[in-house]
Amino acid sequence: MNFNRVYAIILRHIYLTSHQLERFFDVIISPVLVLILWGFLATYVQGLQSQTLAAYLLGGMILWVIFEKVSTDIGINFMFDIWDRNVINVLASPITFLEYLTGLITISFIKILVALTSMGLMAGIFYNFQLSSLGFNLVLFWINLFVFAMAFGIFNISLILRYGHIVGPLTWILPFFVQPFAAVFYPISVLPPVFQKIAFFIPISHVFEGMRYTMRTGRFDINSFWTAVLLNAVYLTASIILFAFILKKVIRNGRLVKLV
Amino acid sequence: MDKKVILEVKNLRKSFNPAGAGFTAIDDISFSLEEGQILGFLGPNGAGKSTTIYCILGLIGPDGGSISIFGKDITKNRSEIFKEVNYASADFSLPWNLSIWENLLVYAKLYEVPEAKRRITELLDMFEMSNFRSTATRDLSTGLRARANLCKALLNKPRLLLLDEPMASMDPDVVDKGIKLLKQIQKEESITILYTSHNMWEIEEIAGNVIFINHGKIIAQGTPLELTQKVLQTGGKETNLRDVFIHLSRGGG
Repeated sequence: MNFNRVYAIILRHIYLTSHQLERFFDVIISPVLVLILWGFLATYVQGLQSQTLAAYLLGGMILWVIFEKVSTDIGINFMFDIWDRNVINVLASPITFLEYLTGLITISFIKILVALTSMGLMAGIFYNFQLSSLGFNLVLFWINLFVFAMAFGIFNISLILRYGHIVGPLTWILPFFVQPFAAVFYPISVLPPVFQKIAFFIPISHVFEGMRYTMRTGRFDINSFWTAVLLNAVYLTASIILFAFILKKVIRNGRLVKLV
Repeated sequence: MDKKVILEVKNLRKSFNPAGAGFTAIDDISFSLEEGQILGFLGPNGAGKSTTIYCILGLIGPDGGSISIFGKDITKNRSEIFKEVNYASADFSLPWNLSIWENLLVYAKLYEVPEAKRRITELLDMFEMSNFRSTATRDLSTGLRARANLCKALLNKPRLLLLDEPMASMDPDVVDKGIKLLKQIQKEESITILYTSHNMWEIEEIAGNVIFINHGKIIAQGTPLELTQKVLQTGGKETNLRDVFIHLSRGGG
């Protein structure tokens, strides 16, 4: 792994984000707008019901945004290189696909950290909700969330490699197929039995369950944590194997150079 | 003293099978380039020129044959080899929303160019683009974008440069300046170049040797003058690759 080349990809996307307002809005501003909406809803629920429910909603929304933005941003960053007709120039350089992917994932991570900081500040100032109140041991759950988003992003790139950027809009849509089973705003127990079985195989459902458990009891939910880790290991490995398989195939059948 | 072989393509073969209608893009071609040589790679549309270049870049996997650059197999040492190789095509511009300086800086990092800022400044001066360093690529004319592509292609002082119609859609004056500059840099930095173009005058100006391919096969090769004399069966001393091209493209031997 050559970090100079990884840095080159990060630098390219920092420049892109700074020049293109829509990239800045998509990753940095839109999460804050979502927070404002859910913040008011949480304030309303807080008045009607309980503080815990309000915290579940706001905490769930913040964690969901991490997953959604990272998983889509990795694919979108790749599509920007296709739309810019830049991908062949990049791949003609000494960079390996692993370095290229690492660059795309790292820039998404940097952007979500900026978004998370903005959301944390907004939540603290306007809704009196401290991200730290979720407990610092929840950072371990956040890492799980990020790892699943990464696997999802690699899966998205594999689809684009295989079918071209015509399937690009799926990048935005796919996370929402996961959302009902991820139990972001409600416990898995409210789902019908079949959905509960599906939810078990979604790592982030355990992240959200773990978050609620910690908020309710103040204790770390070790079972949910390890279940999420194991599932993530499976999904990440599977996404990398799928990516490597598709990459080999598109190099063999000449589709890689037809991406642009 | 024998010159070093920079690029060696041996028995390269590639077929595609789009929607079941298979066709052979490259049919057992072999050629090599020695250090400092400029090889014109000619052929009609769909002859297999770009496919050959993509195979050399490792972006299309061949069905058979081998490619070595600097004596090393590209499938085994790609990253190491490609630090000293570069590529430009008029089909692929640098990202439109970044300034020329930003684009070149990103590519300098990709190629790990030492003293990147100095090299970028040097190239922008050479290509008379210093005034455009802060201009977004989208705001440049076609000619300036092609020059920016060449700056990118020369960033790492490549030993092997693959140029796939780098000056397509440029007016003759710009092409003339570009060719002269490229020849000068090629001489100073002893670059080996594989150059494709549909502009025969461009090839006559720049290439010492020419390979003509059609339907994926090499059907003629030699210096521009040799090809003219052999294919057109003239004894004259003037090159005429345009007529050679038309003759060979229409199936003449």
